[in-house]
Amino acid sequence: MLLAIIPVVPLIGALILFLKRDNGFINIPFVTSGAALILSVFALKNVSGGTILYFKFPVNGPFVPSFRADLLSAVFIFLSAFLWLVVSLYSPGYMKHEGRGKVFEISTLFTFASVLGGFLAADLLTLLLFFELMTVSSFFWVIHKWDKEAIKAGYFYLFYSITGGLFIALGIVLKNSGTEMQTAWSIILFVAGFGIKAGMAPLHLWLPHAHSVAPTPGSALLSGLLIKVGAYGLIRVGQLAGWGTNLTMGFPWLGVALIVLGTITMLTGVLAALIQSHAKRLLAYHSISQMGYIILGLGLGLYMGGDGSLGLIGAVYHIVNHALFKVALFLGVGIIYIHTKETDLYKLGGLWRRFPLTAVLMLVAVLGITGAPGLNGYASKTILHHAVSQAAETGQPWMIWVERVFSVVGIGTAASFSKLYYLIFLGKPSNIKEKSAEVKEVKFSSGLHLAMGLLAAVMIGIGIKPELLPGTVIVPAAEKLGMENASLVLNNLFFWNMSDIISMIITLMLGMIVCWAGLKSRIFHWHPPAWITIEGLGRIAFAGISAVWQKAIKCYQTFTVFVQDTAKGLINRTVMAFQSPDKPRGAAGKVRLAGISADAAVLIMAFILLVIWYTLMHLKP
Amino acid sequence: MFNLILALFSGAAGSLTVGLIPESKNRLRKLTVLIFAVSSALFSWMLAIDVFAGENIRIACELGRLTFSLEPDPMGAVFGLIASSLWVFAAVYSFGYMEKKKNKRTYFAFLLLSLTMTLGVAFSGNLVVLYLFYELLTFSTYPLVIHERSSEAVKAGRKYILYSLIGAGAILFATVITYSWSGNLEFVGEPVFKGLLRPGLNGLLLLFIAGFGVKAAVIPLHRWLPAAMVAPTPVSALLHAVAVVYSGVFGILRVVYSVFGHEIVGQLSISNILPWIAAFTILAGIIIATRQDVLKRRLAYQTISHLSYILLGAFTLKSWGLAGAVFHMISYSTLKVALFFCAGIISEKTGETNISRMQGVGRSLPKTMFAFSAAIMGMIGMLPLNTFWGKYYLMKGSVEAGKWPLALVLIGSGIINAICFIPVIVNAFRGEREKVSVERGESSLLMLAPTLVLIIISLIIGLVPGLIWPGVEAVVKGFY
Repeated sequence: MLLAIIPVVPLIGALILFLKRDNGFINIPFVTSGAALILSVFALKNVSGGTILYFKFPVNGPFVPSFRADLLSAVFIFLSAFLWLVVSLYSPGYMKHEGRGKVFEISTLFTFASVLGGFLAADLLTLLLFFELMTVSSFFWVIHKWDKEAIKAGYFYLFYSITGGLFIALGIVLKNSGTEMQTAWSIILFVAGFGIKAGMAPLHLWLPHAHSVAPTPGSALLSGLLIKVGAYGLIRVGQLAGWGTNLTMGFPWLGVALIVLGTITMLTGVLAALIQSHAKRLLAYHSISQMGYIILGLGLGLYMGGDGSLGLIGAVYHIVNHALFKVALFLGVGIIYIHTKETDLYKLGGLWRRFPLTAVLMLVAVLGITGAPGLNGYASKTILHHAVSQAAETGQPWMIWVERVFSVVGIGTAASFSKLYYLIFLGKPSNIKEKSAEVKEVKFSSGLHLAMGLLAAVMIGIGIKPELLPGTVIVPAAEKLGMENASLVLNNLFFWNMSDIISMIITLMLGMIVCWAGLKSRIFHWHPPAWITIEGLGRIAFAGISAVWQKAIKCYQTFTVFVQDTAKGLINRTVMAFQSPDKPRGAAGKVRLAGISADAAVLIMAFILLVIWYTLMHLKP
Repeated sequence: MFNLILALFSGAAGSLTVGLIPESKNRLRKLTVLIFAVSSALFSWMLAIDVFAGENIRIACELGRLTFSLEPDPMGAVFGLIASSLWVFAAVYSFGYMEKKKNKRTYFAFLLLSLTMTLGVAFSGNLVVLYLFYELLTFSTYPLVIHERSSEAVKAGRKYILYSLIGAGAILFATVITYSWSGNLEFVGEPVFKGLLRPGLNGLLLLFIAGFGVKAAVIPLHRWLPAAMVAPTPVSALLHAVAVVYSGVFGILRVVYSVFGHEIVGQLSISNILPWIAAFTILAGIIIATRQDVLKRRLAYQTISHLSYILLGAFTLKSWGLAGAVFHMISYSTLKVALFFCAGIISEKTGETNISRMQGVGRSLPKTMFAFSAAIMGMIGMLPLNTFWGKYYLMKGSVEAGKWPLALVLIGSGIINAICFIPVIVNAFRGEREKVSVERGESSLLMLAPTLVLIIISLIIGLVPGLIWPGVEAVVKGFY
């Protein structure tokens, strides 16, 4: 019963918000997320012993929405309730600048409900149900501004998500239909469908558009949590294939495919991020890149079979960590935005003087995402790194390349965030500060900074005690999924390993050097030709398709006109055939034999022949 | 028995009564129409409950060697339920829509008369009765199509009647052949052609499908449907999205499952081609829809596409395919009627019929556009709406039949539906209108309420498809 209540709580909040006329003092989203947080603690407590909660509405039929919570779902529910709480602290202050806050808050609560429902879904159909609801409700975030760019991003978002939803639907159909080939196809469709949501590499094109035009609290949640629903779906798909089993008989290619896709996603995301100048787009591309880490982790977990628990634990851990620091980063950029109305990095600079608190909190988030020791990113990245090197030691030679890419992406991330931080807070002071100089930072930003502060505190907490979270929830969750030796692996893991710390520091150093070199050589301003980037290729393909489309339409129109003309001509000819050409039609209706035209004669002959043929055919005994 | 008679003839009796009420007595007419429509729906429900419970209800009289028989089986009962229930909604909507229009007496009289004809098609027990009501349906809806009496309307009416009559001619011809080959035309019980596999059945089936395909708007025979959109919107909603076109679809379902039987059809070589004809119509219909600017015409082409969903399910000849077809028949009708209702509200309230000039409509008519958007989500096949389940079972059926590319066709048509209609929605909420002539009042409530109720029903069915599952199951069990 608890399970059915949790997603309903935000809906009640949304209803109250919708019916309320005035802007009261109570921050309803905050209250709602607080309630959801408390409920999720109860859920976490209930499932921590290994029990599984299950709830199904008592109705008969082929499908009834049914809910189920194991430890993994409970962790994600807790995470989302926490993030929504943080964002609801932030958004009132921010939405004052953006306007139309009520629509935003209502869609936020709807999205909250659908995310909670998605994490609690017991079967794939229920998951799909909440998945679609999430698409629709978060669409209002993307299109919030209703300008040209927002509408374009909205179309991108909606069309990709709808396609993903339809893929998942077909996947569910094929999964239940039996034969091995079809089950394999269903897995492919699931990976594509959830991959679209998760921003997986060839299907990520919607993400930078959608995440950068939404209002900042929306972008934060889109990047921090909504794409994680895709990753969560992939974990459940892995469950279909079987976690912790050697996939030699089932889908041996699934692990490899996820590794390859994850690696490509990491690399594309980070390379594209390096050449961005728009702060939110940069963060959005990093979401893609970090999702690559997660997908890679899941792939490693499947690929290594029973020994793959490091990959799975790392992926889940990274989902949590990425949610924390990505939300913090977006919120920080948002604070800068509402004061300066500027997101172009090259126009900002030297803002640490005016926003000292924001600068400190952003530093924590930046260090977190780059994986600096002592913060949360370090913990999960270390686990993932161990998983990669473990696979490289035992696996094929191509795994070594994966490891190399992993390091390169680490350096790229460090470089990109050094650039972000340098250009916003350090560097030479910008001259745009006059725009909203009357707005003192401290004045109403208590909510804004409180939100970021909460996140930073959690990040530092995880960073200082990195083994706490895996030990209490993630490892038991992985064990529940089927990774039997997960706790054993974790006991062998020691986070404060000197070589790990040193390699991380080297990565950071290299990143800063790359950043310095890039800024000096102006390579970050490089606009790559269209055929290199996936986006450009997509645009070319789209242009090609639409050209073919127009051509096809033209052909079709020509064809219909031709058919129409022919039919009209034939009918006219037939009619004319029975009219004598010199006399008007009303001549007493007499048709004289002599007056029959050649056309009529042909028609009559044909009819007679038909009758004769038919009789001959049927005369035979 | 009485349920059957009352359900069937409520419409005709109401039509007579409405014909006697003078033009000026509006309230009395509304009351009469409502009473007869509701009674028809009520008795259809009671009848359907009996039929689903397995009861055999039959009215028959012998006329020479032909039997005039009414004998609803589960499939007929489902169609009857759809038609008579939606009729109530359309009647209420019509009260609002027709408030300031002329010739209300004719309109409501023929609206009720065509209810009887539709139910006659649904409850018919053999091919002759089916044919009879099918023809009468054409004639009783003709006055509704030409209701505006403009030259365009008369032209459309002529097109409608010509197409329908030619199709009906093909059906009559095919019926005669069927009788001469089998000596039996009854639907209930074993299929007519069971165990009578013989050459020529391919051609016969094709003849039937060509005949019923006119009303089912299979693509080369579809031209009358967009033209008939000149009719008043409730008529377009009810007749040209549900009742009339469904009578064609229902005819094809009858022919495939009751006359030929799915086993015989499976042995015919043509059965490999039929799903592809439906698939072609699905894609071509929705692709042509993207090119239309008049909203009602675009919806009409979408109807063409979605009717073939049902045919596709029927032509897979598998139980899941049939389940999908029936489910889609039920769920699609609710949403499509709601879509047409929305189009009608927009054109009545703002005077816009063209999509390109609908900027900002959503700001002045938010509830209507909400209903429109929800219905479009359903047409795409997104989950909280009931059409998803139709699509889901259709995909299941096509996979079960080993024709998985058909499932891809369904997915593709969903995406094209999105391309076709989402810009309409986004455009409607974008920008402001200069002239807003929104009148609030009883008429707008009468139009809005049925729309929203239909959307809510669709949402509920979408969340709990078990609500209508017994009906679908009864239909499938009747044939497998």
